[in-house]
Amino acid sequence: MTDKNMNLEDELKSALRRQQAPPHFTERVLAQIAEQNSSTQAVRTRWWSIFTQPLVRWAAVTATAASLVVGGIYYRTVQRERTQGEAAKQQLMLALRIARNKLQLAKARVNEINATPSTNRSRSEEE
Amino acid sequence: MAERVFRDHPPHTGTRFADAFADLVRRHQSMVFSIALHYLADRPAAEELAQDVFLQLHANLPNLKSEEHVTFWLRKVTAHRCIDYKRRRTLPQVSLEEVAEPSAAPARAEDPFLARKLRQVIASLPERPRLVMILRYQEDMRPEEIAEALSLPVGTVKSHLQRTLALLREKVSRSIGEVTI
Amino acid sequence: MRTKARNGIVILLLALPAALRAQDMQLPPDVERLSAKAKETVEVKMDGPMLHWASKFLSAEDSDERKAAKLITNLKGIYVRSFEFENEGAYTSAEVEELRAQFRSPVWSRVVGVRSQHEGDNVDVFFKIEDDQMAGIVIISAEKKELTVVNIVGPIDVDQLADLGGEFGIPKLNAKTLPKSPIKSVAKADKGDQK
Repeated sequence: MTDKNMNLEDELKSALRRQQAPPHFTERVLAQIAEQNSSTQAVRTRWWSIFTQPLVRWAAVTATAASLVVGGIYYRTVQRERTQGEAAKQQLMLALRIARNKLQLAKARVNEINATPSTNRSRSEEE
Repeated sequence: MAERVFRDHPPHTGTRFADAFADLVRRHQSMVFSIALHYLADRPAAEELAQDVFLQLHANLPNLKSEEHVTFWLRKVTAHRCIDYKRRRTLPQVSLEEVAEPSAAPARAEDPFLARKLRQVIASLPERPRLVMILRYQEDMRPEEIAEALSLPVGTVKSHLQRTLALLREKVSRSIGEVTI
Repeated sequence: MRTKARNGIVILLLALPAALRAQDMQLPPDVERLSAKAKETVEVKMDGPMLHWASKFLSAEDSDERKAAKLITNLKGIYVRSFEFENEGAYTSAEVEELRAQFRSPVWSRVVGVRSQHEGDNVDVFFKIEDDQMAGIVIISAEKKELTVVNIVGPIDVDQLADLGGEFGIPKLNAKTLPKSPIKSVAKADKGDQK
């Protein structure tokens, strides 16, 4: 690869780098999905009638089983992520709990100092 | 199918699936949007296309087995949708100057004039070479991966890359004169 | 060299590897070695992305978790290391001083420094201020059988954090409930109170 190609390729990578999606893009996608789900509910009910036919029923059962297996693999991935997320959450709560506890200890000690009569402590140096 | 699986199992019915899917969208929205934007050179059209891709993703989730599979699927579907979109519509000529620059600071100092010129030339390429260049330089995909995503022979992908690079070198050097590329 | 009064505050180790660029503090090797003596240690290392990810699992229906979610908004990291010892005297004041010494710089201000000779509780709280904004907090708590260091990186509302008492199942500390003891004045850390 020549130097010229290297420079051009660098410029191309820079010119074609990813750009941020518009604000609230995710929310708009989710809103469209929600809208789709509600509008297709009634249509789904009417389609049940075709599954009274034996061949169609068997085909549907087979397809469903295959989809569940594949969907199950993805579900386990999500479950694993959720387990890890819950563990992270517990770590976070523990850390905040400890931080809060020590801050309160500091506050309590300061309050105790302020409550103690000045003759019982030396105040030659103050922060 | 996946929706039924998710509904039956998690303690918060539907919520965890929705959260997981929303996370998926957030992780990949920049990639999908950018492929569409660099191909179509039209921001509203790119957003519309990107949304359609994620709607299709939502419907096809049971068929996807891993994060890598999702990424590959998204690139492939976005690429094909770009081609279909362009064929179905006659888009107004939009100058790339009107395309907003990314808000994040560039990783390194770039020549904005050159970058704009390169994007213009890319956007004027025929559909396959244009996608090849976007997938190669935006997504850093290897020719073999691009070939699989676009259902092209590897040789054709490599040929597109070489010819387009040569074309770009010639066009850019002609238009900006002294710049050494 | 062991102090009479201090033995075991759990030290929160902020000593994450240098690769964890967000944290403000390195655990000195002498303090790191305390883990071998401790009967129990706690270590939490959560940088910005990890915090963001964990926050997704905080439930809006739980008041504690809801408040936690609000607290950690915009934080870049939370690092905690805590040692609990079987006996008093497991660490020295010099080792704690080595920890404190990292915060004698213009960006850090010690807002609390409390020494209790009788109880053996020493607590220091440092704030990091950048561009007139809170950028972090370090708490070093040295108790008789526990040494704890907390580093929170980023803008945190300390009042909100300190006022969460009770919600996490730990009652609020109140000066009235603590045993009376002669308490030394708030002394400068560098003067020390080694015993």
